[in-house]
Amino acid sequence: MRGVALAALGVLALSGCGGGGQSKVAQANTTHEYPSPRPPAPAVSGGEPDAVAAIRAFANAYINWTADSVASQMRSLAAHSIGQARSAMQLAAGQTAGDYELQRGGIANSGTVEAIAPLAEHRDEYVVVTRELTTATDSTAYQGLRPAWHVALASVVKLGDGRWVLSRWQPEN
Amino acid sequence: MPATGRKSHSAAALLIGCAFAGVLITAIGAVLIVLLLSTLTGGGCDGSSASATSIALGPPGSGQLVGASEYGGPGDPSSGVMGARGDNLQQHPDSYAELGGLTWDTATAMGGLPYMTPLRVTWGPHSAMGYKRDFGLGGGPINGLPRVIDLWWQFAGGLGIPYEDGMWSGPVRVERPPATGAAGVLGQAGAQSSMLVPAAAGPADPSACAPGAIGGVALTPGDRARLLSNGLAAAPENAPIAIKEMIAAGNQIVGKPYVYGGAHGLPLSEVAPAYDCSSSVEHVLYGARLLPVTYGGSSSELESFGDPGTGQWVTLYANASHVFMYVAGLRWDTHNAAGPGDGSSGIGWHPLVRDASGFVARHPAGL
Repeated sequence: MRGVALAALGVLALSGCGGGGQSKVAQANTTHEYPSPRPPAPAVSGGEPDAVAAIRAFANAYINWTADSVASQMRSLAAHSIGQARSAMQLAAGQTAGDYELQRGGIANSGTVEAIAPLAEHRDEYVVVTRELTTATDSTAYQGLRPAWHVALASVVKLGDGRWVLSRWQPEN
Repeated sequence: MPATGRKSHSAAALLIGCAFAGVLITAIGAVLIVLLLSTLTGGGCDGSSASATSIALGPPGSGQLVGASEYGGPGDPSSGVMGARGDNLQQHPDSYAELGGLTWDTATAMGGLPYMTPLRVTWGPHSAMGYKRDFGLGGGPINGLPRVIDLWWQFAGGLGIPYEDGMWSGPVRVERPPATGAAGVLGQAGAQSSMLVPAAAGPADPSACAPGAIGGVALTPGDRARLLSNGLAAAPENAPIAIKEMIAAGNQIVGKPYVYGGAHGLPLSEVAPAYDCSSSVEHVLYGARLLPVTYGGSSSELESFGDPGTGQWVTLYANASHVFMYVAGLRWDTHNAAGPGDGSSGIGWHPLVRDASGFVARHPAGL
């Protein structure tokens, strides 16, 4: 009888009805997936003492760059943000680092942050209005274009130590 | 008699010969006229035919010649100085008007560009950026080109066009400028951004253009297609050419009625009056030459199309009774296939994802 009880305990331990008791091998056999270890939480540098300041700093860096500086600025923005904003900036950094057209044309962007306003009924979400001008030193493609208004949506998160960082940056145009 | 007969026979032969020659000359003449007309009115796929009254602006970098005229200035006082939205055009010398009608909605000779749309206009060696601040009536072709744009006289003057009291007309090249702003240059602008780029006007008769021609397909930044307000889809700029071709082919038949068995038996290169689920999917696939032109399989036959599973750009979902697919994130499907509330009707691009359980997922190799 004792042997039966021990065997039952052993089966329970292997099959793992409770989440904590299931071995990775058993879980893999059940789901055909082997769970990868949880990635470490990304370290976030920078941040600002309030939400609007965080957005203003981010937006200013996002819209003011040259072909030579854009990749490093996007990397820096990625390090200062989390979530979708970080992913988007990492992608931008990767794409611009090897963008031959950007370099060849000497393309640069400059602008000012004209307004940051909270979205009604959307906690920690803001609409950001910028006025930007794109130029090129070695291309006539942008010649004659006037500064244009642009709108982006931003979400912010307050970290445990009180710093605010961006978690989402969605340019609308 | 024989002589007369011979003479009469010769006369008859001569008459027959003349008649034959006349018919031949008439036929040749008719052919030449048809050829001439087709030369003048042809090229319908790019919307730039002489008989066309509108054009389809391509993406940045693909300028095209159009008919232009000028207006305003001291020799044309009837035009005044105010744009259609109240701008004083003398204070905005880089202005142009899109032609074709009396309102913003009807003056759409370049596809109905939004107010303040920038266009690079080139005349000879001179080039300048203009902004749409006005609209106006169209007119007959200019140098065989559809007349689509009126240049404010100061703008025309900046291009070196001689002032002729508002009477100048001639060909100019128009082109969209590249995307601007950080998000535009970085390719991160969202759906709203491409609303600044209206859907290109399609040819008057879609059947005149075989699938595969991607001229005139609106583009949208990024990797995902976008449903436009007119039911057409804008192709993602980052997509392979095959995806743009598929979207162009789909746009050809958007809104065609659903008829079970429709288009089956016709070559896929033709535009049929009606489609069913499988024939509409096959038309789109043929746009990228992913099926032979004579293919006409049923939905169940598409269960073995291409490779199994979902694709990066295209995924077909097929079973014995239905087939639909996603192209760059937009669903190509038949009437209200997602049920009431789908927000769409007819064959075409649908905004919502639908349940694919019970379907076999397939995709074209490499896509």
